[in-house]
Amino acid sequence: MEKRSLISSLSLAARFALRELRGGLSGFRVFLACIALGVAAIGAVNSVADGITTAIEREGRNILGADIKYELVQREASDAELATIKAQGTVSYGITMRSMARLPDGSDQSLVEIKAVDGAYPLYGAVKTDSGSRLPDLLSNRNGSFGAVAPQILFDRLGLKVGDHLLVGDLNLELRATLLTEPDVLSEGFGFAPRLMMSREAVEASGLIRTGSLANYNYKVLMNQTLSKPALLDLQKAQRKKMGDSGFRIATSANAAPALADTVERFSQFLSLVALCALLVGGVGVANAVQAHLDGKRSVIATFKSLGAGGGFVATVYLIQILIIALAGIAIGLVISAIVPPLVGSTLERFLPLSIDRSIQTSALVLAALFGFMTTLAFALVPLGRTRHVRPTMLFRDTVSEGSQPIGWRWLLAAMFTMALTAGLVILLSEQRRIAAIFLGAALGAFIILYGVSALVIWAASRVARPQSTIWRLAIGNIYRPGGITRSVVISLGLGLTLLAAISLIDNNLRSQISGSIAGKAPDFFFADIQGKEIDGFSKLLSEISPHGKVQNVPMLRGRITALKGIKIADYKVPPEASWVTRGDRGITYSPSLPDNSSLAQGSWWAADYRGEPLVSFAAEEAGELGLKVGDTVTVNVLGRDITAKIANLRAVEWRSLSINFVMVFSPSMFKGAPHAWLSTLTDPSSDAAGEAKVLNSVTKAFPAITTVRVKDALSMATSFIAQFTLAIRISASVALIASVLVLAGALAAGNRIRVRDAVILKMLGATRRTLVRAFVLEYMLVGLATAVFALLAGTLAAWFVITNIMNLTFSFEPIVLFTTVGIALVLTIGMGLAGTYRILGQKASPVLRTL
Amino acid sequence: MQQTILRLNDVNLTLGDGQSQVKVLNGVGFEVSQGTSLGIVGPSGSGKTSLLMVLSGLERADSGRVVINKIDITGFSEDEMASFRGRNIGIVFQSFHLIPNMSALENVAVPLELARHPDAFKRAKEELEKVGLGERLTHFPGQLSGGEQQRVAIARALAPQPAILVADEPTGNLDLATGEKISALLFDACRTRGMTLLLVTHDPQLAAKCDRQIHMRSGRVEGDLLSASGSEI
Repeated sequence: MEKRSLISSLSLAARFALRELRGGLSGFRVFLACIALGVAAIGAVNSVADGITTAIEREGRNILGADIKYELVQREASDAELATIKAQGTVSYGITMRSMARLPDGSDQSLVEIKAVDGAYPLYGAVKTDSGSRLPDLLSNRNGSFGAVAPQILFDRLGLKVGDHLLVGDLNLELRATLLTEPDVLSEGFGFAPRLMMSREAVEASGLIRTGSLANYNYKVLMNQTLSKPALLDLQKAQRKKMGDSGFRIATSANAAPALADTVERFSQFLSLVALCALLVGGVGVANAVQAHLDGKRSVIATFKSLGAGGGFVATVYLIQILIIALAGIAIGLVISAIVPPLVGSTLERFLPLSIDRSIQTSALVLAALFGFMTTLAFALVPLGRTRHVRPTMLFRDTVSEGSQPIGWRWLLAAMFTMALTAGLVILLSEQRRIAAIFLGAALGAFIILYGVSALVIWAASRVARPQSTIWRLAIGNIYRPGGITRSVVISLGLGLTLLAAISLIDNNLRSQISGSIAGKAPDFFFADIQGKEIDGFSKLLSEISPHGKVQNVPMLRGRITALKGIKIADYKVPPEASWVTRGDRGITYSPSLPDNSSLAQGSWWAADYRGEPLVSFAAEEAGELGLKVGDTVTVNVLGRDITAKIANLRAVEWRSLSINFVMVFSPSMFKGAPHAWLSTLTDPSSDAAGEAKVLNSVTKAFPAITTVRVKDALSMATSFIAQFTLAIRISASVALIASVLVLAGALAAGNRIRVRDAVILKMLGATRRTLVRAFVLEYMLVGLATAVFALLAGTLAAWFVITNIMNLTFSFEPIVLFTTVGIALVLTIGMGLAGTYRILGQKASPVLRTL
Repeated sequence: MQQTILRLNDVNLTLGDGQSQVKVLNGVGFEVSQGTSLGIVGPSGSGKTSLLMVLSGLERADSGRVVINKIDITGFSEDEMASFRGRNIGIVFQSFHLIPNMSALENVAVPLELARHPDAFKRAKEELEKVGLGERLTHFPGQLSGGEQQRVAIARALAPQPAILVADEPTGNLDLATGEKISALLFDACRTRGMTLLLVTHDPQLAAKCDRQIHMRSGRVEGDLLSASGSEI
């Protein structure tokens, strides 16, 4: 019975709500725009991300270039291992490594990412070149020269054309075509340099594969039978177990590019959080619009009550109305989010060789709709609760202004609960929950503080001594009068500006540190794959071409941690922040003395002539994360052999110096006889661009198999990546700022109704248009400045936290951000304020006076 | 002997806070029989409208009792009072207070719908026909004249067949001729339906049409007389 009564009550409320909506949505434009914008931003970010993830899943075989892929570092598979792999199906065998490619006349050179393939490659997908020939023909040995293909960027960098020759190691290669598409590039990790594709026979003849060369050997398998995704994952697990500690990295087409998928997911989550901030800002617009709508409906609400409607029923009528409008806003937002993937798909496909899924991503849209709905509810509940305090007695007194109405505590609690529920949902759905929680905490904290700041500005304006100047008196009066724009402007614009200031500061700090302090401390060159017999000649050459340079040579081997404290690494609880140390192969070294760029944190260094049991020095921070202390044991697999060493000491390592640093440095006797290569750095503060070019050219000419990396190139690549990432973040943050502008416009429009009346009365009393303009400018400027000051403080605090606590860098304030933030605040408040007010100044007095 | 429909005992009401407090009703008490028309008159600020608000349950008295149809409404909550009012009291305002986005028919149907009346629209149509607006059912308030709007408001107040009809200066916003028609409509409707009419007015002629008049001054009932006999009670 009660259920029926509830349903009939809801249905009646819905009927009243719809009838009441006949007046149109003119008062809800800002509401609609805010919700549509927020939902569109969240929906679009997640739709694009889902489109990429779906493509990664769908094209798993093409991305991996196989059903299952086995990879080894620095060694080929043994016959027995190869037999196990071959038993699964057709195998394509490849090698990837970095090396130097140089022009035959020695005038120029470039770092290249070599990919050597066999005749079976590619097992899935197709290699596209600008030539009509098949890949095996393009790479074959003709007239004593092996062929190669490379992307246009390498041709451009070295001034080459198809048919020209290129030297790599001992090999003279003929460039036979431009490489357009490489199907499995996404699964091969991040490439520092242009690709150079050649045959397996070519790389074997190049002399590049030497002791300790950083070469990856991969075995791609097209299986005899088609396996489902779970079966592939089971196979991956089984094969990992079977291959044991042999050093194989095994991937399947079920998770072909986990690193890319992780990056897309994490980045999209961060963008979603920023977009959510836009929705939060838009929430202020929702609250303002609902409040203004309900203010205009007070006599109707009172009439309903006088005719027998209860307070709860009236609130339900308007709640339904608000939700109907929110649904319209959500629908607009969803339409926009649905059309974004097709629009940006082709742009993204230029960076990611994938057919990005452009279909409607239902889960992304549902999530965006849910956030839009919950934000509306959270921000509309408090103004809706106020309808309970509208009393029908106002109908007798014939007034619509009863002053400010109290907040209904139950409604406030419901709003807070909805907000907490939304935040909980965001954190729950987030991969990086801690960061999501910090972000939301900061946004909500900023929201609450901004509310306080607005209250403070209003309070200060009401307490300030009455100035003599009429303009100042008018401006200050407008700041604190009921129904003024101060609160809306400070909260909405403040949030948008805080976000923008924080992102700008983080971006500027990162970029300036990379190009400034990090670049200043880093060496100029890294040289890899130096053979033991070459090290003396190489050092001599460097001392000749760079007489003021400092050369550091260290032996380098590759090793993989297989056990810690005697516990197998698979069973050891490794925290996520230290997982990079135990995942795969790491560079390791040995040294008789404490390396540069590090200091002893605990324990003591071994004697230079120490010959006892194997000892290791572990990086202090990473040891702490892994729960290791002096005296614990570390087992490392090097060249297929397990070696257990005792931790003799812990070192504090300054990773940011970009100098040669290792997590593990072993006592020298352990590896003295083992075959290994050397790694060198050259630091020459006096060197200029010409000097660097000379080093690059001379080393490549004299030692063609040594790989040279110019640190400036690597850093500029990192800077350009950061620029691309921050551009996406800035676009997302701009959505928050647009939401701020919408809220600002809405608040100004609502405030203008009161301003028209004031302006007419003041003009009647003799105020000139100029006086009114100056008063308005002063008011907008004061509110804009207060907002900018807060945004700067809060944005700086947030950026400082991210830079120092999350990124462990040194924070520096950038004055450009100060000027930009204040500039944007003033342009928006004064510009938009005056644009809205200008119309008022021309208002004719008589129609307004008649309604007073 | 007619049944008492309304009884007020020693009703007091103070409005405002602190220094702006004003005692608007001061020990008001009287009874009204069913089917009587009662005019409440007095100068501005005498407490007429406040009295109307208290006896229609829109304002809660500080002390005293208000009994309508043998039911003491003094302790009702806001929602209980709204529901009671919907069934027992119809109100006509000086400014009509029709809902602008609803047609004349929908406006009249609102109290019937709120009372879950099964034939709300049929009854609303009949009421509008009775006040002579059968041709204006789908018109919105903005499309009606002041007199027509007040007729819609009267139809809306009468539709739930309340025991008491409360009218606050119902002709105050109308010209003389229209006002006459509206007052005639009100009195006729109450007479034919046996409803009690409580009418606040500044207009002595309108008040004189009532069976009985109460004179208010400074929140007190200063005079109570039967119009027909002219004898003071």
